[in-house]
Amino acid sequence: MDPIADLRVKLGSAMDNADWTISMADRLCHACVDLLHVDGAAISLMLEGSSQGTFGSSDGLSRQVDELQFTFGEGPCMDAVRHGGPVFAEDLADVTDTRWPAFTGSVLDLGIGAVFALPIRLANSGVGVLDLYRRTSGGLVGNSLAGGLMAAELAALPLLEMISAEAKVRALGSNEPAWQQLSSLARVEVYQATGMVMVQLGVGPAEALARLRAHAFANGLTASQVAWSIVERELCLEVDGRPQSGGPHL
Amino acid sequence: MSTERQSQITTAFVSIASSMADGADVVDLLSRLTSDCARLLDIASAGLLLADSHGVLNVLAASSERTRDLEIFQLQRDEGPCLDCFRTGEPVSVSDLSSATERWPEFAPAATAAGFAAVHALPMRLRGITLGALNLFNDEPGELTADDLDLAQALAHVASIALVADKAASDKETINEQLRTALRSRITIEQAKGVLAQLGYLDMDQAFAVLRRYARDHNARLSDVAQQVVSRKLAGEQLIAHAVSKLVLPENPA
Repeated sequence: MDPIADLRVKLGSAMDNADWTISMADRLCHACVDLLHVDGAAISLMLEGSSQGTFGSSDGLSRQVDELQFTFGEGPCMDAVRHGGPVFAEDLADVTDTRWPAFTGSVLDLGIGAVFALPIRLANSGVGVLDLYRRTSGGLVGNSLAGGLMAAELAALPLLEMISAEAKVRALGSNEPAWQQLSSLARVEVYQATGMVMVQLGVGPAEALARLRAHAFANGLTASQVAWSIVERELCLEVDGRPQSGGPHL
Repeated sequence: MSTERQSQITTAFVSIASSMADGADVVDLLSRLTSDCARLLDIASAGLLLADSHGVLNVLAASSERTRDLEIFQLQRDEGPCLDCFRTGEPVSVSDLSSATERWPEFAPAATAAGFAAVHALPMRLRGITLGALNLFNDEPGELTADDLDLAQALAHVASIALVADKAASDKETINEQLRTALRSRITIEQAKGVLAQLGYLDMDQAFAVLRRYARDHNARLSDVAQQVVSRKLAGEQLIAHAVSKLVLPENPA
C-alpha cells in the first residue's frame, strides 16, 4: 500500500471503539507517537482565541509542555491559532529564533528540541491545535508532515464531542470509522445548514455543527438528512434544543 | 462557428484574464467561469470539482447555486463521470445518462431524476498533476461537438491556472496548500449562504447573489465577505439591505 494511504488508515483507526472523548484524543496522540517519528503529542481546545485546556496527550510530559504555552501565553500553538496555519519550531535551541523567549527556555529545560503545531478546524473554523514534540531538533519531514496534517483533521472529532458536551447536547453515538464520520459532515447541505443553525441558535459554526449532529444522532438520522430538513425549512433548531417543525422564522 | 459566438468566447476569456491579473477571488472567478461555460456551450449546468488531499472530489464552483444541483455534482465523491475522469486524467462523455445506470448505480438515476440527460467531464490538469474535473450537464441527450469539447477543455485549463495562481508552485505540497485554501473558501461561502438564507428567508441562489453583489459593490473579495458574515463581523442584514437597495432582491422576499 502507498505509505501515505497506509498512514491514513492507521491514524483513522486509532480512535475506533474509544468509549469517551478524552480517550479518543489520547489514542490519537499515541498513534501520532507510534507513526509520525515524534516523541509526544497533545491536543488542546481553543475557542475564540483562548485556550480551554489540554484534553488529550500521549504522556504527562507532552501535557506539561502543552500547558506551558498557556501559562506563558506564547508558543507555536498560540501562533498556529492566530495565523490559522501550521507553525513549526524545528530547533528550539537555535538562539536566533526569538519568537517565544519564555516558552522556549522552559521547554528546553524539559528536554524538548522541536515543536510542531497544527491547527484543528471544525466547520472551517479553528477550534484547537495538535502539538507534536520531539526531543531532538529537526523538521517534520516526508510522510510525517502529511501524517500530522491528517491527524489534525481527525482531531476535529474529539473536539466536536467536547464542544457538544459543553453545549450540553449528547453526541457520542456513532460507531462509524473516523474518516467516514468526517466525510459525512463534509457536504454542501451540511455547510449551508450550519450557517442557518448559527442564526437560529445564535452560536458559532463549530457549535452549530455540533447541534446539527446531535440532532441527527438523537433521531437516528444522518447529518445530511438533518441538513436537508433545515435547508428546506422543514426543521428549525430551537434554543432549548427541541426542534420546531415548519414555518418561516424571520 | 458564428461570429457572434466567437466574440462571446473572446469576451469571456478576456474577462477571466483581467480578473486573474487583478488578483480576483478564485471561487468568484471560477463561479463566473462555470456560468460562462454553461452559456457558451448552451448547456444546463456546469461545475468544477476539486480533489482534496485525500483525493476526494469537492464542489468548488458551479453555474447554479441551487443546493440540489450542487448535490448532484457532490454525489461524484463516490462514483460518476467526474471521478472516472479525475482518476484516469481522460475526458468522459455520456450522451445518454439513462443508459449509464449499470456504470454508476447511484449517480446516474439521481442525475436523471434531477432532469439531466447527458454529462461530460474534462480533466483539470496542471504540470502533470490532475487537480479535479470540469463537469457539464445537459437536459437533452446528445454529444458535444469537437469544437465545444475543445472550448470546454480550454476553460478547464484556465480554471487550473487560476487555482494555482502562484507560478512558483511546482511541488505537490505547495499546490495542495493552494487547493486547500480554495476549498476552505467554498465552505465559508456555503456557511455564509446559510446565514443569509436564514436571516432573509432566501433560497441559496438568492443568498449567493446577495453575497456576490455586496462583495462587488464594496470592491471586496467574495470569500473575505463570506468569512466576515460567518464570523458575524459583518451583519448579514446589512448585505440583505444592500441587495434590496440595488433591486437584486424584492423588498419583501417571499
